Amino acid sequence: MTHLSMEQLLATREPGLEPQVRNWRDHIEICPVCRAELDRLDQRVARLRALPGLRPSRDLFEAVRLKAAADRRAKQGRRVLLGGLALAASVTLAAVMINGRQDHRTLVAADPELAEMMSQSKGLEQALSGFDQDRQVVDGRAVAVTSSLEDQLARVDQQLEAVGMLEAEARQARMIKLWRERVGLLDALVDVHLTGARYVGF
Amino acid sequence: MPPICNQNPNLDIFPDVLTGTLRMDAYRLADVEAVLPRLRTGDPEAQEALFRAFEAPVYSLARRICRTTEDAEDVVQETFIEVFKSIGQFRGQGSIWGWVRTVASSKALMRLRRNKYRDTDDLVDDVAPMKREDPALRMDLEAALERLSETSRAVVWLHDVEGYTHEEIAGMMDRTVSFSKSQLARAHARLRKWLGEEAIA
Repeated sequence: MTHLSMEQLLATREPGLEPQVRNWRDHIEICPVCRAELDRLDQRVARLRALPGLRPSRDLFEAVRLKAAADRRAKQGRRVLLGGLALAASVTLAAVMINGRQDHRTLVAADPELAEMMSQSKGLEQALSGFDQDRQVVDGRAVAVTSSLEDQLARVDQQLEAVGMLEAEARQARMIKLWRERVGLLDALVDVHLTGARYVGF
Repeated sequence: MPPICNQNPNLDIFPDVLTGTLRMDAYRLADVEAVLPRLRTGDPEAQEALFRAFEAPVYSLARRICRTTEDAEDVVQETFIEVFKSIGQFRGQGSIWGWVRTVASSKALMRLRRNKYRDTDDLVDDVAPMKREDPALRMDLEAALERLSETSRAVVWLHDVEGYTHEEIAGMMDRTVSFSKSQLARAHARLRKWLGEEAIA
């Protein structure tokens, strides 16, 4: 008689009624060797569960408390930065309108692509502001990516501020390029936040 | 204000989620419902209550999976920092210990991957074969468990002690269900041998 392998014995302990597993269970009923092996397996698992609990040799809470507080401060800093970015975008837009030789509405109306980019940018900023920063769990890599994206966004906003100095034709082409870039960066930021949210969704 | 952490274990609070010894060891949260809103506001007293309630089972889990006490202590810290950060994500579905345990398991497995421990059970097995016929040379269960590779030990602990399914373990380890099953079978075959059970068979 062929006896069951360890993998087969373990499978008989799992819930489920697959035909193959049923056959193995039937075999155990008539095979004293496999019955004894299964008993030993059950006992081994019971002994594993009965192993004594372990405790750390030192109190770890103070370190946890300090790190949690530092993380909370860092998150608040990021929230302030994001708020600052939204404000900077509004100021930039205002600067372009004031400094530009062409009225903003005329400029946007003349270029549907620019209007579309601005609209997308606004939508993404609203999406970003909708994320509750305190409820986001972001791992180290996500923090680095977020910081990099926010830095790039700040640079784009600075460049947008300077656009008003250009001649009308150059200004329009430059603005489309920068707004497109801005939408891409905001889109990536939203992605990071969504990924962070999935990460904690155990 | 009534204490939110009570050092007398109360088995009625988390009846099915702690393993036997851990349940006996664990402190309890006197009133989970009262503590959760305070945790969400970052209340340090509530954080300490949660930490004291679960530090022992979290450390045990981490120590069984990680090779060193230092790694296990790091996992405890990372687990609670993560729990405090993401407590807003806990909707109260299932026990809070189940949720904390999932975070701890993920952190411990992440540390295994990060450290890229070298699996040593094959090597040790070849170098120091057991003399099965001599009961005095049989390993005790602690030593045999310690001797398993990190991956095998993690699968054994998560499956047999913590009660995770192969599907859940595969998900946490980013491996297949077959991998989890074969690791468990391999580990039990080795434990059986090292514990001298072959001689009995």
